[in-house]
Parts: sequence; C-alpha cells; structure tokens
Amino acid sequence: MASYKVVAASFLLCCLVQTCYGGVLFSSLERTIDVTASPKEGQVLSAGVDKISVTWALNNTLPSGIDSTYKTIKVKLCYAPVSQRDRPWRKMENNLSRDKTCQQKIVSKPYDASNKTSQSFEWIIGRDIPTATYFVRAYAYDQNDMEVGYGQTTNDKKSTNLFEINGVTGKHTSLDISSVCFSAFSVVSLFVFFYIEKRKGKAASSVEQKVIT
Amino acid sequence: MKTEAIVREKASMEVEQPPAAGGGGGFNNGNQSSEEQKFSVPVDSENKATEFRLFSISKPHMRAFHLSWISFFSCFVSSFAAPPLLPIIRDNLNLTATDIGNAGVASVSGAVFARVAMGTACDLVGPRLASASLIFLTAPAVYFTSVINSATSYLLVRFFTGFSLATFVSTQFWMSSMFSPPVVGRANGFAGGWGNLGGGATQLIMPLVFSLIRDIGAAQFTAWRIAFFVPAFFQMLTAFSILIFGQDMPDGNFQRLKKSGEKPKDEFSKVLFHGVSNYRGWILALTYGYCFGVELTIDNIIAEYFYDRFNLKLHTAGIIAASFGLANLFSRPGGGMLSDAVSRRFGMRGRLWALWLCQTFAGVLCIILGLVGSLSVSVVVMIIFSVFVQAACGMTFGIVPFVSRRSLGVISGMTGGGGNVGAVVTQLIFFKGSRFSKERGITLMGVMIIICTLPICLIYFPQWGGMFFGPSSKKVTEEDYYLGEWNSKEQEKGSHHASMKFADNSVSERGRRLNTSTRPADESTPSPTHV
Repeated sequence: MASYKVVAASFLLCCLVQTCYGGVLFSSLERTIDVTASPKEGQVLSAGVDKISVTWALNNTLPSGIDSTYKTIKVKLCYAPVSQRDRPWRKMENNLSRDKTCQQKIVSKPYDASNKTSQSFEWIIGRDIPTATYFVRAYAYDQNDMEVGYGQTTNDKKSTNLFEINGVTGKHTSLDISSVCFSAFSVVSLFVFFYIEKRKGKAASSVEQKVIT
Repeated sequence: MKTEAIVREKASMEVEQPPAAGGGGGFNNGNQSSEEQKFSVPVDSENKATEFRLFSISKPHMRAFHLSWISFFSCFVSSFAAPPLLPIIRDNLNLTATDIGNAGVASVSGAVFARVAMGTACDLVGPRLASASLIFLTAPAVYFTSVINSATSYLLVRFFTGFSLATFVSTQFWMSSMFSPPVVGRANGFAGGWGNLGGGATQLIMPLVFSLIRDIGAAQFTAWRIAFFVPAFFQMLTAFSILIFGQDMPDGNFQRLKKSGEKPKDEFSKVLFHGVSNYRGWILALTYGYCFGVELTIDNIIAEYFYDRFNLKLHTAGIIAASFGLANLFSRPGGGMLSDAVSRRFGMRGRLWALWLCQTFAGVLCIILGLVGSLSVSVVVMIIFSVFVQAACGMTFGIVPFVSRRSLGVISGMTGGGGNVGAVVTQLIFFKGSRFSKERGITLMGVMIIICTLPICLIYFPQWGGMFFGPSSKKVTEEDYYLGEWNSKEQEKGSHHASMKFADNSVSERGRRLNTSTRPADESTPSPTHV
C-alpha cells in the first residue's frame, strides 16, 4: 500500500517538474540594441540565392554601463506572427527557453563594450530555410549564456518592416519522371497479371470440358 | 480436431465430402484439375490448418501467412511514412496545423469504404487478387508523394495512399480461410499485428532513410522526397510476391476453383445483405474503431507530439514513436492467442469478456498518457498503453470469424472499416487544428475509448451466449446459426456445405465446461458424416 502511494506521489512530482523550468522572460528584457537588416518591407527573397546584411549596435541614447554584462550577440531570423498562426511548433512563449519564434541563427559574435561601433554581417540564406514571413532579432547574452537584452528590425507588435523568404521546393525533374515511370509500371503489371489469371482459368475449365466429354 | 493429413482427390463438379481418415488412393481426373492434396500441417475437414507454425513457409497455409503480413506491413509503412518526416515536410510545404490534421484524417478515411469494398471483393474474387490489385493501384500515390508542393496535394497523396490499409481485410480473410477455428485468433493476431508493425517501423525507417540521403549530399527538402521511393518500391514488390507465390484457399485459387466448380459462385447482393444485417458486425465495427482507430491516430500524431512537447530531435522522437507500433510484434498476436486460450476454457463468452476488459484498461492508460508531463514516464505509459490497445485489436479478430461464415468478407470489411472510422472521428474531434492541445486530446480520446467499448456487452450468440447471458435455452446449435444464412432453395442446391463444415469445426467455441455435457453424440467425430 505504501509503495502504491510512493508511485502516485512520484507520478505527481514528475507531472509538476515541467512547470519548474528556469528561463529568462522576454517581457523582462530591455530593447537596447538597434538592429537593421537589408531587406525592405515586403521584399521577397529566395533561399539559397539572396543575401541578408544585418547591422547592429548598442542604442547610444541609453545610459552608459547598461551593456556591462553583454558578452555575446546572437542575431536570429524570426517568424512573423502571420507565419506563426496555426503552427504550434513556431509558437511564441514569454519564457525564452520555450519560445520558438526565432529558430534560425544568422550569426553569433562576441561583444566588446568598449568598442561602440556598429557591427555587421552578410548572410546567404540557407537552402533549408522554409517559406515564411520574417524579421530579424538580436539577443545579447551574458557570460552564463542568459539573455540580457535584445533588439529587432520590427516594432513591438511585429507588424512593420517584415520581409518574405521563398524556400527551395526541393523538387527535381528526375524525381518527377521516376515517379511517373514507376507508377505506370505498377498499374501495367496489375493488368498483365489479370490477363495471365484469366488465361489460366480458361485453360482449367477447358481441361474439365475435355475430361467430362 | 486434428486429423491426419489426408490425401484428397477431386471427384466431379460439386463440393464433395472428404473420404474417411486414412483414405486410400483414387483415380486421376486429368492432370490440371485433379488435386492430390498433401499438407505438411494437420488440417480439418475444410483443409484449414489446425496448427499455426510460425517459422515454417509450407505451402499453402504458412506461405499465405507470411505473404499477407509482409504485404500488409508494407502498406502500413507507406501510409504512415509522412508523419515522422512532418517536421521537415511542414516547413517545405508551409503547412499549418489544420492542414496536417486534415491530411491525417484523410489518410485513414479512404480506407473506410475501401475496407468494406475489399471485404466484398474477397468474397467474390479471393484475397490474393483483391489485395494485389489494391497494392498495385495505391503504389502510384506513394511515388507521387515525392512531387507534391502544396497542402492540397499533400492531403490527396495521403488520402489515396491510405486506401492501401484495406489490405488488412484481405489479410484477415485469407487467414480465416487458411486456419481452423481453434487457431484462427492466433493466425489473425500475428498477421494483423506483424502488419501493424509497419506503423511503428516506418517511424524508424523514414527518418533513417532521410538522414542517409541527406548525408550523401541532397538538400533537406529534396532528401525527404527521395526517401518516399523506398516504401513505394517495397510495396510493389510485395504485390508481385503475392501473385506469384500465393494461393487463395487450401484447395487452390478462386478463379480456378470457381471455373471448375469446386467453389460455388455466390450472389453479391445476398453476401452483402447477410453481412450488413448482422448487428454483431456493427458493434464490432464500433469497438474496433476504438482500439485500432486509436492505434492509427497515435501513429499519426505521436512523433510530432514528442518532438514538440519535449523538444526532442527528429530522430529521437521517431524512435519513441516507433516503440508504440513495434509493440505490435507481440501484443496483437498475444491478444489473439489469449483469445484462443480463453475460448478453450470459456468459449465465446470468454473471448467477449477478455476483449472488454483489455480495451477498457487501454482507455484508462490513454487518459493517463495525456496527463503525464515527464518524458520518461510518458514513454513508459505509452508502451503499456500500446500493449493493451493492440491486444484488444487481436482479440476483436478472434471473434470476427464467427459472426458470419457466408459473409465473412463483409463482416471483416465492416469491422476493419469501422477501425478507420474511429480514427477519422477521433482525429476530427480531438486532433484537428489548434482547438485542443495534443495532450488534452489524448486524454479525451481515452475517455471515448471506455465509452465506446461498452457495447460489447450487447453481443449475443444464441448458440454460445454473451457477456452476461448463457446460450439460449432453445438449444440453438452452431449449424442452426450458420445455416440460417442460406434459404431452403440455396440449401437444395448444396451451396451451404462450406458453412456446415465450418459450423461443425466451431463447436470448440462452447468452451470446455459445456462441451462434454451438451454436445450431442453424433457430433463427437471431427469430420461430418452426413451430406
């Protein structure tokens, strides 16, 4: 009886473990970085072909010393709300350890607080980037790899300055042709077998006729 | 029930009775139509095997078994080849959760009618031709999966590929034609279970094939397309094997048996009528919807569930999802064997009770699965759940062969089709779009399992009883039940002989306790002595 209670208790504990996650909340971050990206609003880019240039720097209107904990800047490609709709695998969550808005890393660079010049990077859009609407966001990380600041190319509502990327289809003419050939072969084989069966059946009944007569 | 392997020869144009056991030689009727039937396994009066030897490929019984489970396995692999690759496909095709849900529904809805049609086709042209035709005709849908480029085309290929799941019916029909009542549960369980294995194996195979192709150098969005040629080709291969190596019945193939008159031609409308008018077929269709239908639903959603909820890699999610379907290796056959074992002691009533208990417990486990939040507990619960839900499937098909003899195909088709209806309904209610989270949907599905298993209490066989009532006091026999499907004109023509043989072979369903007391004296010999 006691062991049954232990099992039940550990069950419950396991169920609750998930809620005890650590993780920085996005709402606690300050927007401290100015980020610009080369795509204009509404521009359509092609994966594998086009490039995106991103530039980022600390916002110089902010009080100094705010970037004292910044050690790394990671720039990421993020899904706009229209591409997140009805797609739970891209869902936005306030807890950044569970947030799935920004799944593609563009670049990661170390941050030097003494050097206030803006940094930039040119990125060729990878062939595995899916078709969607995007914006660019940069996160600042401290030495424990926890987010301490951010910046993005769009506004807080994520409605301005969005651009689209068309992913590769992955289709090939050779695949198309092979599909057709194999399918045709499949159907034709069926009819060949049908014909053979009918002939066997006729032969059997004709032998019967011979035997009876 | 075991008879010696008997040498049997064909006499003339009618279904004839076998000679007494140990009978001697006869005369040859012409080399193509005479049957010197020697079987390497013991058989009953219908030449159905009374022993199930898993690792033999003897012709025709065990060979039919291996052909049918492998072809069914390949159809399962094809039908569920997309779900483990969905994290890639959904990005390539820009799918929404609604698109994915709709396609999941489509993948199992095609087979609803295909299964019923398949049942009738088996009754009319035989399982060999029926299943091979379906496999050849659905292979193109799998090939064309590699050229799709939109949510609509994704839905269409999954819809047409799903038709191939109707081979389940031909598998069960074939097993019921080749194996005798005491072992039919086991045969159906192994064939169905090892076929259903495909739903689990595909969750392992497809991510593996995909990563292999991608590592060779193909882009991600091309690699998954190439990967689909593997299940398509395998499926085609199995169809060839069935036609070349298979045989419909122990005595030969339908076409030849029909033309030479050994298998009397039956009327489609009568076969259909006797199938759909048997209420037990409908109840089993509903309950099968909540063991097999649930299995299909889980095959569709489980990989994505683990990938998204626990943040696993595609590969890992695939392995975990696979373990659900892989349990079929032993759990569904185990269900069949348990059903046979219970029937030896308690007869058909035992089979009904076993099914109800097993499936209800599966429902409870499903409720728990949706509630647990830790990965390891989730996996453990899922595996236990899979064992029980699949055993319930096996037990269902320990009962199906006895519902009707004349319309075995239609009943098998209805039950099989009902399985798919369950999958369709469940996915529509709980797993379409973003209304319920997946874990909530799983819990609610568990509740529905429990509710929809209750109708088993209503199944009643007058000659054997039901869950709560014993056999009818009017002393109805198996013959009365099965011959009730033929009217007097048909009986005059002698069309009912096969049903009679089956009725005699099925007295084992009375169970041991009642066997010695109520069994009339003249039925104590295994083979019928009357015409």
